[in-house]
Amino acid sequence: MDIVGISINHKTASIELRESLHLSQDEILEFIPILKQNVFSEGYVLSTCNRTDIFGIPKSGKITYKDIQKNLLEFKHVEGLSSEHFLNYFSCGAVKHLLEVASSIDSLILGDSQIHGQVKEAFFLSEDLGFSKTLLHKLFESAVRVGKRTITETKIGEGAVTISFAGIKILEKIFSSFESKAALVIGAGETGELAAKHLRESGIGKLSISNRTYSKAELLANKLNGDVIEFNNLKKSIHKFDIIVSATSANGFILDFEDVKLMMKERKGKMCSILDIAIPRDVNPKVADIDGVFYNDIDSLNIIVNENLKKREKEIPLVNEIIMEEMTAFFKWYNTLNIVPTIKDFRDFFEEIRLDEIEKIKYKVHDYEYEKVDNMTKRIIGRILHNPTWNLKRISETGTNFEEAKIYSDVIRELFNLDNKAENKSDNDFDNNGAK
Amino acid sequence: MNNVMQIMSYSLLVLYLITFLSYLYDFFVENNYFLSIKRIVLFITLIFHVVYFVERTFFLGHLPIITQYEIFSLIAFSIAFTYFLIELLSDIKGTGIFILLFAIIFQAKSSLFIQDVYVVNHVLQNYPLGTHVITAILGFTAISISSAYSFMYLLLYKNIKSNNFSIIFKRLPNLEILEKLTFSAVIIGFVLLSIAVILGLIWLPSAFPEFSYFDSKIISTITVTIIYGIGIILKTKRILIGKRFAKFSIYGFIFSVLSLMLTSVIMDSFHNFSN
Repeated sequence: MDIVGISINHKTASIELRESLHLSQDEILEFIPILKQNVFSEGYVLSTCNRTDIFGIPKSGKITYKDIQKNLLEFKHVEGLSSEHFLNYFSCGAVKHLLEVASSIDSLILGDSQIHGQVKEAFFLSEDLGFSKTLLHKLFESAVRVGKRTITETKIGEGAVTISFAGIKILEKIFSSFESKAALVIGAGETGELAAKHLRESGIGKLSISNRTYSKAELLANKLNGDVIEFNNLKKSIHKFDIIVSATSANGFILDFEDVKLMMKERKGKMCSILDIAIPRDVNPKVADIDGVFYNDIDSLNIIVNENLKKREKEIPLVNEIIMEEMTAFFKWYNTLNIVPTIKDFRDFFEEIRLDEIEKIKYKVHDYEYEKVDNMTKRIIGRILHNPTWNLKRISETGTNFEEAKIYSDVIRELFNLDNKAENKSDNDFDNNGAK
Repeated sequence: MNNVMQIMSYSLLVLYLITFLSYLYDFFVENNYFLSIKRIVLFITLIFHVVYFVERTFFLGHLPIITQYEIFSLIAFSIAFTYFLIELLSDIKGTGIFILLFAIIFQAKSSLFIQDVYVVNHVLQNYPLGTHVITAILGFTAISISSAYSFMYLLLYKNIKSNNFSIIFKRLPNLEILEKLTFSAVIIGFVLLSIAVILGLIWLPSAFPEFSYFDSKIISTITVTIIYGIGIILKTKRILIGKRFAKFSIYGFIFSVLSLMLTSVIMDSFHNFSN
């Protein structure tokens, strides 16, 4: 199989390099015509914040992974990026890689279901640009099936495997509903934003943001339909919140033991969960001793994450089984691609002979006799060709020995001279004339 | 004791044990297939319990609410039946072992010590007694269940506090739900015990000539009811919430069981119905 491709991902390059190389949709739209012109007859480009994969069917046998790398680096120059940051794939390995990506076992976060949608998007884009034909389309179908099956048949996507989700899982064990709850996110940086997003997606009733730089808090609050608590007024306001997520880069504690104790007094003992996802910690861990306060820092949240990751890792053999099944089915189909033209030519060859012969009696017999002979010859040809056709398909579909199917196909083509139809036609004419 | 009833009584205990083990297994090995099996086992146990009551009523000629051990069996039934309804009507799973444990304790005591009482005082065979006893039993059932939920609350509370995300963390419903269930059960228990006390105070003086308002059982039941009443007020005023309310519910239950045992076993009371 001719498929070839390259991949740069979390195993091969730093996040800075991956981010620099990331291709936006507009860039992919621009890049695919270049690939079409220089490298592939059909292919696809998958680019996420964690990986960039470029795979396809080379336009000629001379094209290698080096050409793909060259075209990519010419299209998007990234300082410090070299060929050693790429993984190169061919044939079966390329198909396996694509299915592994679609299954999410090759993701940075094992079992991350986001990749399913990203793979689909990449293929749809390819199809829209006429860059995907029969082979890629079939491969895409297999990839989508692998993605679906990993979700339904395994537990690889179960359990929280990020700090934010682990935090949400703990909150779900404390509160029955988030709709009536108020949450405060301290820190409007990347981590704070992610936590605020997760809270909003979980259906939190009231979301407030506090940040040393007011404008940043305001920006995030506007984005997530929340309000802003002035950083200087933080301690006076914290008692209003059932959930406090702290994710600042401050060096000392933002909330100390006495602050939280006072807060609980004002809350009259009403439960409060504090998720301290900052490094170094923003909240004095001693607050965990206060009744009704549930304090979790990165280390405690990591307990959940690691436990779930271990569970997901145990699912990898099951996912690999699914990948193998889909690979076998794909190659079964692929191998028949070579045999199908032979079968068609083989049948056409016999049909032409039949038509030639039956034509000779067309005006010598009655119409009903002609019809009978026509049907009879069709049946004879059908019966003669049944076994060789069926066996050819069977040999090719076993998928284990591509060469074997090719040998049979070549022998048939050679014996019946299927590659030279014109010659066959003249031979028939000669025989016919001779017979006359 | 009648052989048939004895066999049935022991079989009932065995069935409760099987039910408990089914719930225990499901608690540790989450399995959708087993979820329906354990429910079927509980349902069979409940049906068998009803048959047992019918059998006792038929043989003894009175409702099985006369002796202390008959009442224990009735409490076991009402705990298991209430839990069965809770599980069917709500999506709350994983609490079965904690509640059914109470049912087993009551049924074990009943099965091991129950005796057949054929001759019953005629005052005990009337409508007010039935209502008084049944409301009292249901009231005790409710406070037993409330203490089971409180126990689960404290267990989960401790698990979350100590970052122990084990099976308890995974299988129990959240703290707010457990608190709501505890509070609901306490309210139901309080209302039913209040009805039982009021009915008793109205009916007992006419039924028992030796009736005294200073009877130990009356005092203890009224005390239990008042304690729960105060607890409800404090909870609605948000003075007793969360962990404190859970502890209150457990202490209330321990107090009610101890006072019931003390007044039944140690102190002399006209409430001794089997005589």
